[in-house]
Amino acid sequence: MLGMTQNIAKKHIRPKEGFFKRTFGPLLQAFREGDAWTRLSAIIMGLGNLRRGQIIKGLLMLAFEVGFFLFHIFFGWQYLKDFGTLGTVSQRRVWDEAVQIYRRVPGDNSMLILLFSVLTLATIIPFVLIWAANMKSALKVQKQAEAGVKPNTFIQDLKTLLDERFHITLLTMPMISLAAFTVLPIIFMVLIAFTNFDKTHQPPGSLFTWVGMTNVTDVFWGDALKSRTFFGILGWTLIWAVFATFTNYILGMILAMMINKKGIRLKKMWRTIFVITIAVPQFVSLLLVSKMFTDTGVVNVLLQQWGLTDGPIPFLTDPTLARILVIVVNLWVGIPYTMLMTTGILMNIPADLYESASIDGAGPVRQFFSITLPYMLFVTTPQMITTFVGNINNFNVIYLLTTGGPLTLDYYQAGKTDLLVTWLYKLTVNEQNYSLASTIGIFIFLIVSSLSLLVYNLTGSVKKEDQFQ
Amino acid sequence: MKIGIKARNRISNTAIYIILTVLSLIWLLPIAWLVMTSLRAEPGAYTTYIIPKGWTISNYTKLFTNTELFNFPRWFANTLLVAILSCIITTMLTLMVAYTYSRLRFKSRKGFMNMSLVLGMFPGFMSMIAIYHFMKLLGLDQSLAALVMVYSGGAALKYYVAKGFFDTIPKSLDEAACIDGATRNDIFFKIILPNSMPIVTYTAIEAFIAPWVDFIFVSVIMKDNYQNYTVALGLYKMLERENIYNYFTQFCAGAVLVALPITLLFIKIQKFYVGGVVGGAVKG
Amino acid sequence: MKKLLSLVLALAMLLSLSVPAMAETVTLKVWGSQEDQALLTTLIDFFKAANPDKTWDITLGVVGEPDAKTRYLEDPAAAADVFAFANDQLIDLVNADALYEVTRNKEAIVAANSAGSVESATLDGVLYGYPMTADNGYFLYYDKSVLSEEDVQTLDGILAKANAAGKKVLMDVSNGWYVASFFLGAGCTLSLDADGNQVCDFNNEKGVAAGEAIRAFCADPAFMTGDDSVIQGGMGDTICAAVTGAWNAEALQAKLGDNYAACKLPTFTCGGEQVQMGSFIGTKLIGVNTQSAYPVEAMMLAEFLTNEAAQAKRFEVRELGPSNVNVAATEEVKANVALAALSAQSAYGTSQKLVLGTYWTPAEAFGLAMENKSTDDMKTLLDSMVAQITGK
Repeated sequence: MLGMTQNIAKKHIRPKEGFFKRTFGPLLQAFREGDAWTRLSAIIMGLGNLRRGQIIKGLLMLAFEVGFFLFHIFFGWQYLKDFGTLGTVSQRRVWDEAVQIYRRVPGDNSMLILLFSVLTLATIIPFVLIWAANMKSALKVQKQAEAGVKPNTFIQDLKTLLDERFHITLLTMPMISLAAFTVLPIIFMVLIAFTNFDKTHQPPGSLFTWVGMTNVTDVFWGDALKSRTFFGILGWTLIWAVFATFTNYILGMILAMMINKKGIRLKKMWRTIFVITIAVPQFVSLLLVSKMFTDTGVVNVLLQQWGLTDGPIPFLTDPTLARILVIVVNLWVGIPYTMLMTTGILMNIPADLYESASIDGAGPVRQFFSITLPYMLFVTTPQMITTFVGNINNFNVIYLLTTGGPLTLDYYQAGKTDLLVTWLYKLTVNEQNYSLASTIGIFIFLIVSSLSLLVYNLTGSVKKEDQFQ
Repeated sequence: MKIGIKARNRISNTAIYIILTVLSLIWLLPIAWLVMTSLRAEPGAYTTYIIPKGWTISNYTKLFTNTELFNFPRWFANTLLVAILSCIITTMLTLMVAYTYSRLRFKSRKGFMNMSLVLGMFPGFMSMIAIYHFMKLLGLDQSLAALVMVYSGGAALKYYVAKGFFDTIPKSLDEAACIDGATRNDIFFKIILPNSMPIVTYTAIEAFIAPWVDFIFVSVIMKDNYQNYTVALGLYKMLERENIYNYFTQFCAGAVLVALPITLLFIKIQKFYVGGVVGGAVKG
Repeated sequence: MKKLLSLVLALAMLLSLSVPAMAETVTLKVWGSQEDQALLTTLIDFFKAANPDKTWDITLGVVGEPDAKTRYLEDPAAAADVFAFANDQLIDLVNADALYEVTRNKEAIVAANSAGSVESATLDGVLYGYPMTADNGYFLYYDKSVLSEEDVQTLDGILAKANAAGKKVLMDVSNGWYVASFFLGAGCTLSLDADGNQVCDFNNEKGVAAGEAIRAFCADPAFMTGDDSVIQGGMGDTICAAVTGAWNAEALQAKLGDNYAACKLPTFTCGGEQVQMGSFIGTKLIGVNTQSAYPVEAMMLAEFLTNEAAQAKRFEVRELGPSNVNVAATEEVKANVALAALSAQSAYGTSQKLVLGTYWTPAEAFGLAMENKSTDDMKTLLDSMVAQITGK
């Protein structure tokens, strides 16, 4: 979907047929102008290259093609054939008289069918790309042969990978890892949202199947409880993200400014003190902090000892207090980061700006709002978006501090401080409700990605990147 | 007038010192409590008093001697191994991607960058189940190798900071080298990398720290394979209902031991933040 | 020890007669809780010694009984062949076709274990697990220096004494497991209908009365809530009575010393009458994974790990309550304070086998509302709780 926006944007710049012509033009040309060898390369990959003496390249392409088909025949097809139903045969039991047990006869495994179908289908993309490259290459060597030019040797080809085509060399590994660890899993999870994969449909014991848009409609309006939960949690997630981002941003910056201020000694020591808190893993520090705020925790014990309160204050169990608490504790987590992040930039603000403001009689507060803040906002917008997104998905702070609690009867399997992401996690781990969790995951993804794409591409920083160089 | 400013300055500085001291106390309090609990002689996660009645270092020594149930030394070694490997791989991948986006111009570059941006937004652990089964297909489930791959698999999405830094290295350097016949490969290794040691260090340290603090991905990958746990997951297990009474103080001791090296590393990269290496990079 | 060894040997002979000799290596994985690891290692060594006709490769995984179902469902094929689980997971596991039916030596197993524990592992007449312990329940621990045997008969009595002594009474009301004892005591039920859906009548008249009793209890100045760590840390200091299970016995005995005592749950005032608090009771079972490559051998091991000798050893090492009738009848078990209290409470217990996963979260949410001194209408609260539990 987002790629489409990108294409639309491009269409404004280039003539309309540009994209198609660039992509399919050389292919058509290969068929139109190619000789028998070149055309046959469409079926037997690498044939054109072999014919013109590029033996290694040709053989590599051929090997790739053979491997691709072997993979599909011996691995892919057994899963792909059931992709439409996700399996029809469930695990059966058969009485084994000899040993007196009900032996299990394995049935179809819906999850593996779905997962490996995705994998199999995904291999088609590199195949098509390499096939197209094969056609182009066949035509190229044919033309070179006709013109009497000696085609590149394999060594020469390899050399271009270190120069003109260096981006291919550099990007191949990262992109493969990206495909394996991010793209394919995402596609898989997106598809799960359209199935009934939950506690009562667990492979390998039982099957799950396609249910269409049921999960999506449930979340929006179909199921009163689930949609109430979804919108309630969505609202809180946004409130939380706004508060968590901006309070940290402003207060962290003020802290950095205090430490940076001329005349303050031991700058390094102050910074180090705050940095230490980052170094303690969050699952340790946040769990300890959450213990400090329970009814029997240090904070309540001290408050009562000093006679400030009669009974324990329900920091973690009262909805409003718990929400305030997570925002406040998040300051403890986030301020050191902001402080570190902004220190360097603050020092870069031209001093004469402050001097002239001083002469105009602006106090420190006005200087902050009229110089520091606008400058910082200008420079750190991308950073802020990243932080904002990070907060929407801030699993650690919420889960370790309150586990989303206090639970409420208004929500489905969720509490008043739950974010979408912690709700999703709990649905997966405690409820095995994978289909609902995936549906929520897609929404988180849609909200967050459209937001950040919009802002990134609107802010000047991306467009002007070449000017910095 | 001059004296007035000085006096005002002194007052405001004093105020800042007071605020900083108070804040430091607030920030250090949980850490102090952690260290104190790690030295407490009495077991249990909760006591009705604040200062321990007895002090001991046995919580630390037991981590290394009492390894039957919780094999802390082994987990520590696992984590170290995973951290080193994933740090090397992540750093390589990140720098490769950052250099490509910063210096090389090719069609669909913008598309790739936007795609990386968008994919980075997907809640990570949603993909864990699928990754686990891919790993199983490769016969790598419940192995440290899988963990290394998981921690470095997303490296292509974390290129911003490094790219921003590369962007600040003048392009004229590349052009000059190009005229001298250098390939883009040469430029990467001979010009960009030597000029980017701060960002290399920063990327490496960030990648090194990740395995020490994650407890979710590792639990999905390792499941019941106790020998291959990392310290984070192992420590987390100490907090389960049946263990917490006997192991809470050891948990704290283990946490201190994990936090120490990370603290040192953070103090090391602190100067990159302060020096604007990271901060300046957010521009791009 | 000698007795145990001879028993093991006798069993070894029996088994070696019944199973034909084979030379292949049998690979099995066993899941047990962290604290059971040492015990399991010993028992498995005995098992190997008892079955020398095969080459065994038995590994241990650490998965506690409460987590077994979740861990199992993550990847059944990678789960243990033989695993311990709490019997409230039985229905979900059977629905996922995770468990082999106990068909080999069934009569002997049924005869050896208490009727209740066998029932707890049975669904629709089919036995799905090997009973291992019968102690998965809760009761009252108290401090003898504060409360007398008479005081602990009624909740009102306990609260009165606790208030007088400035001490607290702990019960984790915001936990579906514990909060149910009021409803179950008042006569409400939690069961399944013919289609396997949860049926719950906690919102009837008796339920509302029980709910008001919970509200009153939570409002008492001596009331306190908290998890195990609070009980373990506060018992004897600020807490004089706490509702929890046998797994805390060791820690609490250490904490209370001579003042350590336990008994069944008290009665509470419900709609003006004294009503005995109910409770959930459960067992821990060992199941055999349907994905196992060696089902017969896995069943042999499961049976061995739950036989009389193993249960005796388990009590000796971990003080876990046996389901085996012979072990349960020994003097040592009878003299165990915590297990005696549990056994007294079990007369008022409800099997938690029929509780589905949907029960816990809404019940916890209700308990939280009570702890937060909610003033909402009780009937409305219970209606929404029951609606979520039953999924209607």
